Amino acid sequence: MEAPKLNDGKTKAGDWRSYERVLLPPVRDLHTLDVYEQHGGYSALRAVLSDGKFDPKGLATHVKESGLRGRGGAAFNTGLKWSFMPPVDPDVPRFLCCNGDESEPGTFKDRQLFEYNPHLVIEGMVLANYAISAAVCYIYIRGEYADWIRQFQHAVDEAYAAGYIGQNILGSDFSTDIVVHKGAGAYICGEETSLMESLEGKRGYPRVKPPFPAQKGIWARPTTINNVETLAHVPLIVNRGAEWFAGIGAQKHPGPTIYGISGHINKPGAYEYPTGMLISDLIDGVCGGMRGGKKFKALVPGGSSTPVLTAEQCEGVTMDADSLREAGSMMGTAGMLVMDEDTDMVSFLRRITHFYHHESCGQCTPCREGTGWLEKLVTRIDEGEGHLRDLDLLLELCDNMEGRTICALADAAAWPVRWTIRRFRSEFEAKCRPSTFAGTDLDGDGATVVAEPTPVI
Amino acid sequence: MDVSPKPMYLPTEEPERHFSDEELVWTAEEQERIDAWVAKYPTADGAVMWVLWLAQEKFGWLPAGVIQLVADSLDLPYAKVFGVATFYTQYYKKEMGRFVLDVCTCFSCQLCGGYDILHYLEETLGIPKGGTTEDGLFSIQEAECLGACGSAPMLQVTNGPYVHNLTPEKCDRLIASLRAGELPAFESVTLPQDEVDLDGNRRSDVEVIEQYVTPPVSETVH
Repeated sequence: MEAPKLNDGKTKAGDWRSYERVLLPPVRDLHTLDVYEQHGGYSALRAVLSDGKFDPKGLATHVKESGLRGRGGAAFNTGLKWSFMPPVDPDVPRFLCCNGDESEPGTFKDRQLFEYNPHLVIEGMVLANYAISAAVCYIYIRGEYADWIRQFQHAVDEAYAAGYIGQNILGSDFSTDIVVHKGAGAYICGEETSLMESLEGKRGYPRVKPPFPAQKGIWARPTTINNVETLAHVPLIVNRGAEWFAGIGAQKHPGPTIYGISGHINKPGAYEYPTGMLISDLIDGVCGGMRGGKKFKALVPGGSSTPVLTAEQCEGVTMDADSLREAGSMMGTAGMLVMDEDTDMVSFLRRITHFYHHESCGQCTPCREGTGWLEKLVTRIDEGEGHLRDLDLLLELCDNMEGRTICALADAAAWPVRWTIRRFRSEFEAKCRPSTFAGTDLDGDGATVVAEPTPVI
Repeated sequence: MDVSPKPMYLPTEEPERHFSDEELVWTAEEQERIDAWVAKYPTADGAVMWVLWLAQEKFGWLPAGVIQLVADSLDLPYAKVFGVATFYTQYYKKEMGRFVLDVCTCFSCQLCGGYDILHYLEETLGIPKGGTTEDGLFSIQEAECLGACGSAPMLQVTNGPYVHNLTPEKCDRLIASLRAGELPAFESVTLPQDEVDLDGNRRSDVEVIEQYVTPPVSETVH
């Protein structure tokens, strides 16, 4: 019996038009501590630390039950990740890292949290520190966000002064610190092991796993790494309960999420809605349709490394991990790039390959050489100097990059190439130099060289 | 043979000196900040990125002498600090203009005319990307995604303020105000959903509120 299709064209977000925002609620000046407290801020921390709502293990279990999945790209169950930490040893310090190195092209959701609701992130960090018994939370923010680092540091200082961070928080015996770390422009530092190297003051070269961060993280101590948005959900789950969270959006990938939508649409921006929104609802209902009434052509659903989808493939697909996997892509960071019918997919891919070539750290040969080779080949095709055989060479290169390096950057570089060529091959063929034998029937089977555009797979 | 205590870029060259020994010192206030950073990490290494940032703000860029100063103040080997400084793109390894315009051209900006803005600035200032104007005022760089895709095309001024929703006119205004020595104010890009709920203004402490606008049609690359 065939498994039932996930993508039946029905939204999993329920009545999204009347959805009330919780991560970025419509409250003016919510970034200040006063306003945040007036709107129930730090009540989750109070409930846990003063009223004993959860012990550390209970909090981790509660978050696990809520079904919260990481919002940084891998969509791994957060509570489960916390449970990987080894048993507490009073002699061994433990760390939490908050990953704010938001560098995936197309992604700009964490910046909204830094700007409009930093205390929610801080409260989430302290709660997560409590759940995994960590002494310090390092928050790694990309260097380009200099203004937001300043603003976030100000919020941290406010929280210290009010006693929400520091020694014996809210009169309990729990103490923790938050340290803001400024990056300096390296996409690779968003990879968790590279982020740890960077925090230790080294070049951001990813480490071989295992050992995993929970065993040996920063300074070889047990470490958990979570995305900014992931941690921002934790106070909401404590306040409203795991059942509330699990009941929002797609069943297997629940909760509110921030969609960062950009490209050829009328109202681009960061929107908070439940997961499981229909792509068509997001484009037409939320973003006011395509710019200039053009036709929708392609979508990158979650940052540059997620495979591009054609308009046909997006039909009836919802924005959650399982649904997008079935459609042939990934949820990633929910940074959606919408492209209209005029988009040149070859130029588009050329810019992506340039990005990965620039950002490869150079540690592993397949990635260091492969990303440069990909860029050269796609550039050659884009400039009309490419050969049809280059397309197969590109795919072969992808085979030799995927899964052959320490971290996933080589995969992230290869996927857009592989899938853009597979799904828009005719556009690439059209830009290549015509074959010497174009139009001729070489082996007499009726098929000519450069035949019909390759069908979409 | 006389062995120089200062490491060199190449074994055969004396490193060019850009700052005198009197300049290559921290003030008491700066030393205080460094000590505070060092205290936040289990080892002094953790503070190296912060101290490099401080050095770049103070000296403008990171020649060998400045890297040596950072290494000495954290008691780290020169090679380690040099390695860190050369890994991260935002640390300047060459002298830059007073205002560095990092124009984002990564894919969201590319599709919304990021290259048009880059080319417009190149023509206006008369320098190619990667170059610096003769008066030492402006440098232009092509930047990778700066994380403001919803308000593309955009640029960043010297690791400082973001300038969103760029048009040629807005570029002209920006250059004029920079020439007058004025950095643009922090622009708060509001959320589209707030236009209904909060009249598009979320923060009362910020004067410049940018709305998300329909991106322009790119002239060169779609």
